[in-house]
Parts: sequence; structure tokens; C-alpha cells
Amino acid sequence: MTSLKRALIAIGGVGFAAGMVAIALVLTANDSRDVTGFDLALGPIVGWAFIYAGLIAWWRRPDNRFGSLMTLVGFTWFLGAFGLSDAPGVFVFGLIFGAVPFAVLLHMLLAFPSGRLEGTAARRLVRFGYFAVLVMPAVWALFIQTEGNAECDGCPRNPLSITENDTVAGILFTVYAVVSIVVLIGVAVILVRRWRRAPAPERRLLGPLYLTGGATVVLTVLVITAEQAFGDTAAQVVNALSVVVLASVPFAFLYGLLRTRLAQSSAVTDIVAGSSADLRDTLAAALGDPSLELAYWLPERKTYVDREGRPIELPDEGPRAVTRIDHDGRCVAAIVHDPALNEQPGLVDAAGAAAALALENERLEAELRARVEELEASRARIVHVGLAERRRIERDLHDGAQQRLVALRLQLRLARDQAGKDPEMAQQMLDGAMTELDEALAELRELARGIHPAVLADRGLEPALSALAGRAPLPVDVKTAPTERLPAPVEAAAYFVVAEALTNVARYSQASRASVAVERRNGHAVVEVRDDGVGGADPSRGTGLMGLADRLAALDGRLEVDSPSGGGTVVRADIPCG
Amino acid sequence: MSPTVLIVDDHPTFRLTARLLLESEGYTVVGEAGDGAEAIRAARDLRPDLILLDVQLPDIDGFDVASRLMDSEDGAVVVLCSSRDGADFGPLIERSGARGFIPKAELSGERLRAITG
Repeated sequence: MTSLKRALIAIGGVGFAAGMVAIALVLTANDSRDVTGFDLALGPIVGWAFIYAGLIAWWRRPDNRFGSLMTLVGFTWFLGAFGLSDAPGVFVFGLIFGAVPFAVLLHMLLAFPSGRLEGTAARRLVRFGYFAVLVMPAVWALFIQTEGNAECDGCPRNPLSITENDTVAGILFTVYAVVSIVVLIGVAVILVRRWRRAPAPERRLLGPLYLTGGATVVLTVLVITAEQAFGDTAAQVVNALSVVVLASVPFAFLYGLLRTRLAQSSAVTDIVAGSSADLRDTLAAALGDPSLELAYWLPERKTYVDREGRPIELPDEGPRAVTRIDHDGRCVAAIVHDPALNEQPGLVDAAGAAAALALENERLEAELRARVEELEASRARIVHVGLAERRRIERDLHDGAQQRLVALRLQLRLARDQAGKDPEMAQQMLDGAMTELDEALAELRELARGIHPAVLADRGLEPALSALAGRAPLPVDVKTAPTERLPAPVEAAAYFVVAEALTNVARYSQASRASVAVERRNGHAVVEVRDDGVGGADPSRGTGLMGLADRLAALDGRLEVDSPSGGGTVVRADIPCG
Repeated sequence: MSPTVLIVDDHPTFRLTARLLLESEGYTVVGEAGDGAEAIRAARDLRPDLILLDVQLPDIDGFDVASRLMDSEDGAVVVLCSSRDGADFGPLIERSGARGFIPKAELSGERLRAITG
């Protein structure tokens, strides 16, 4: 048994005892006190109903103060019974604190359902209410003597009385009554406003409590005014009626709970029956929240997308609430909804659980759409990269080898023309021509290697990567590389990942060294290039890494760049070997 | 008096070779420029008889440079050149206002004279 449950049971026991004490006080009251069978029967019921309904609410939502407030209404309700005692000290205690349960009741009504007082007006009213019931009767008691008072038949002496002054006591009583009426009307206005603003699902919860609580508030105003306005009999009727309505408040609360439970099961039934083709519409109708939205989880991308597969951000806080829905222990979707639904714990979860399978299906569809969209984007990028690559090769050929061959031809012609006239100059021209030819050859070799290295095609990854490392302008350690051949597209992709990563290391990282590892793991080629440079590389900025990511995506592979600022860079590629 | 020439090309090797070649064939090379802006400045300052202008320059396209020289200068004859074939450029050479085009590999004083008359 949890400590909370033990504590609540203990409070329940104390509540029962408090009720029995109140019954004992009523039964032992002297005959001249105005006690009816009605008081005897209904008094303890009101107190116990609040205590036990409050404990149920407390147990359901331990973090919500509403349950404890309702329990407190029950306990304070019994304080009034002390006013029936013949012992002056006990009697005056009951006299002063008899109205406290009404202040707690107003607090409870205004704090429903969150347990918190929302809004300055509500907070001020509650504070004012507590002030009125705690201070004003005590001040009033200073000026009234109850013993032998016609208004208080059979009452014992009031030990607090310093002087008996009917005029002051009368004025104080009127002020007290007016203040109470103002507070009660204020509470009624707030309740009406909240009701009008509440969306449909919230009304289902608020309805019963607001109806009975509001009726209690109105009847209490009537009780205060009835005696003056309509005389004793009418006042007694209104008083009895108000106690009956008050007693119904905890039951109304329990009925509200039952109704939300019913709404929950009917929501689940609606979803399972789900006639509407649109799952969102079905959920929105079942939960009574037309603003409801669905977001599907894509575990591979670690992001939520809408039904069309477009990425969406879930709201962190604010006017929307988020409930995550799991299926078979995996997150499938999130329901973005009106936070009012959270006041009915389990409702959204139950609806989500009922819809989990359908959500998983829609999630798969959304995932597929997202993949198609990504594929289209990646295909466009591949075409773009291909064009850019051709343009680069043309430019390299034009600026490099072609220019050198042009110069070479002119130099050879000059040498030929000068051979007879100026052999020294002809010699110079031929030397220049040789240099141009060497440069042109080197550039052509480099270009051809960039298109597809011959060693890679002929001998595979291991020697190709070693050659790449050897040509790098910084020390590069090839830690592991597969000696067996992999499918040609996989080898090429792995090679170009390393080549691009090493080019970036040399250009931007300011690293002192780098390492390369390519391993075959579970049917995948796993490539890792690591450096000890400055980090901070962003793959989305450069076209090189982005182009590589697309190239890998075409093979169902993935590229990851981990590059914390100041912490070096690790480029990882994972390529299925087919 | 030998005709004066301004050579505009972003490849220093070509500029040097062209200078030696043209000077050996009776031209006086009065200046060299590596890009379009420098070419326009040099043309204004040096007033050469002939400007040998590469089509592909790092800043302004050779055709644009030729058009601008045509608009502002009087007297200089512009001959475009490139390591590509003239046919690659379609109508652009004619539209630029240049007097003619020589593939770089075929550059010679004789070809130049054939164009400039």
C-alpha cells in the first residue's frame, strides 16, 4: 500500500470520528436549543460526503489540490456542531468558526478542476472570503452576549463578550451579511463566465459541480437575506433547501467523474467503430475537440511529421497540450489537443490507445510520404550535383590541361621558327614546352582520379584509401579497410566519403592528423573519418557533404557528421552492401 | 611603325607565350591585363592599335568587355581568342562587335593581320 493511500485512509478514519463527535454534540444539546431531526440526519451526511468524495478526488489526482479542498470543506462543516455545546469555550469556538466551510467551499468551486485559483479576481475573492469568515464573526462576538439572548435560545455564556451593545453587533452583522453577499455574487459571476468560455469537453466535467455549487451559492445569498425579507418560516425552508443542495455537491462531483468515465468509454467505442474515413476527424469527434491535430513519429529521422509527411514541431507549452501515443512499446504519434482534456485524466490516453493501431497505419503512410518527398528532393539534388560535377570537369579541363596544351603548341611553333635564327631561344622554348607537358599530364591524371580512381576499380578500397591518405597534406592513418572486394557502388561511395572528408579536413579543420576506418559490419560498410581539428562543421552548409549524403541515400545508406565546436570532427557513413 | 598590342588573358603562361610570339612577328606588346576591369583601364591608358582579348575572364565575360570597349574607345581593334573553338560560341562573337576570333592554338601575326587588314 502506498504511503498516500495509508494517509488518505487515516484521514477518512479521522473524518468518520469527527462526524461522530458532531452527532454526539447534536444529541447532547440541551432541549431549548433549536435542533431538528433534519439537522441530525443531514448534518453528518454533508460533512462525510465532502470528506469521502474529496478523498476519492485526492487519491485520483494527488498533485491536484482540489481533493484536499473538498475534504477540508467536510471537516470544517463539523465545526458548526461545536456551537451546540453548553460549555462556553466550545460553544464560542463553534459560533466563530461555523461559517468557515462556506469560504473553503467557494475556494474549492473556484479552484475546480485544476486545483489552482486562476485569475486575480478569483484569488482576491477567496482571500476576502477567508478574511470575512475568520475575522468578522470574532469581532462581532466581542459585542454580543448570548446567554439569555432571545435570538439564541438556551445558548451558554459568550466568554469573548467585552460589552453587550446591540447596535454595534447589529451593524457588524449587517456588514458581515453584505460582505458575504458581495463575495457570493462575485463567485457566481466568475462561475458563469467560466462556463460560457469552456469548450464542450470541459463543460462535461464542469457541469454537475457548477450546477450544484452555483445553486448553493445562490441559496446561501437567499439564506442570508430571507430572514429579513420573508420571515422565519421562509428562512427555515430556504435554509433546509440550501443544506440539501450543499449535500448534493460532492455527489454531483462524483457524477461528473462517472460522466467523464462514460465519455471516455464512449469515445473509445466511437474510435473502434470509426465510421469516418479520417482518423483525425474520428478522434476530434470522440474527444469533443475540433481543434485536435495528429503528429506521426518517424524514429529514423527522430522527428514528427503531419499526414503528408511534412516535418512539424510539437508545441512545448502554451495553449496546446500534447499526449504521446505508444503502440507495442514504441511511440507512434502524438495528439495535439485542448489542454482542457487533461482535466479528465486518461481520456486522451484511452482514445489514443484505441486508435493506436490505426495511428500506426497512418504513421507508416506518413513515413512513406516523407520518404517519397525526401527521395524527390534527393533525386533533384543528385541531378543538380551531376550537372555541377560535369561543369567542374569541363572547367578543370579548360583551365588546366587545355590551356597548357595551347601554350605548348605555341611554344613548339616558336621553337621551330627560331631554330635557325636563335637556337638558344628555341632551346628555351622547348624546355618551357616540356614543363607545360609535364604539368598537363599531372593535371589530367588528377582529374581522371577525381572521376574514378583506377586503383579503386582495379584493386579495391584498401590500396585506394592508402593512396588517398598518402596524398593528403597531413598525416592520415588508415586504421582498417576491407581487403576483400565490396560491390562497386559501395566501394565508390565509401571512397568518395573519405576523399571529401579528407579534403574538408585539409581545408577547414586545422587538424594535425586524421584517421580513416572502413569496416564491414552486419552486411554494412561502416566508414569513419576522424580528425583532431576545430570542429563546427555543418553538413547542411556545404554542397560536398550534402551531395555525398544524397549519393549514400541512393544506396539506402546514411551520413552523419558529429562536429562539436573545438572537439574535432567525425564523419560517419553507413552503406548497406546489398 | 609596328602595330601596338594589349594582351588580355587570365593565364600568365599564355600571356608570356603570346607576347614572345607576336613580338617575333613584328608587333609591339604595350601591355598585359589579367581580367576585364584591368583590360578596360589599360585600353584607355595605353591606346593600343589592337586588343587580343580572351573570351573567358574571371570577372567580366570577354564578350562584354569587347562591347564596352566598342562603346567607349575609338580606334582599337578587338580580336577575341579562346582555347575553345570559335563555333562553340555561336553568334556571340559577331554580336560583341569584335573584329574577329582566333583559336589560341592558332595564334600568329599572320592570322592577326588577316583579320585586322
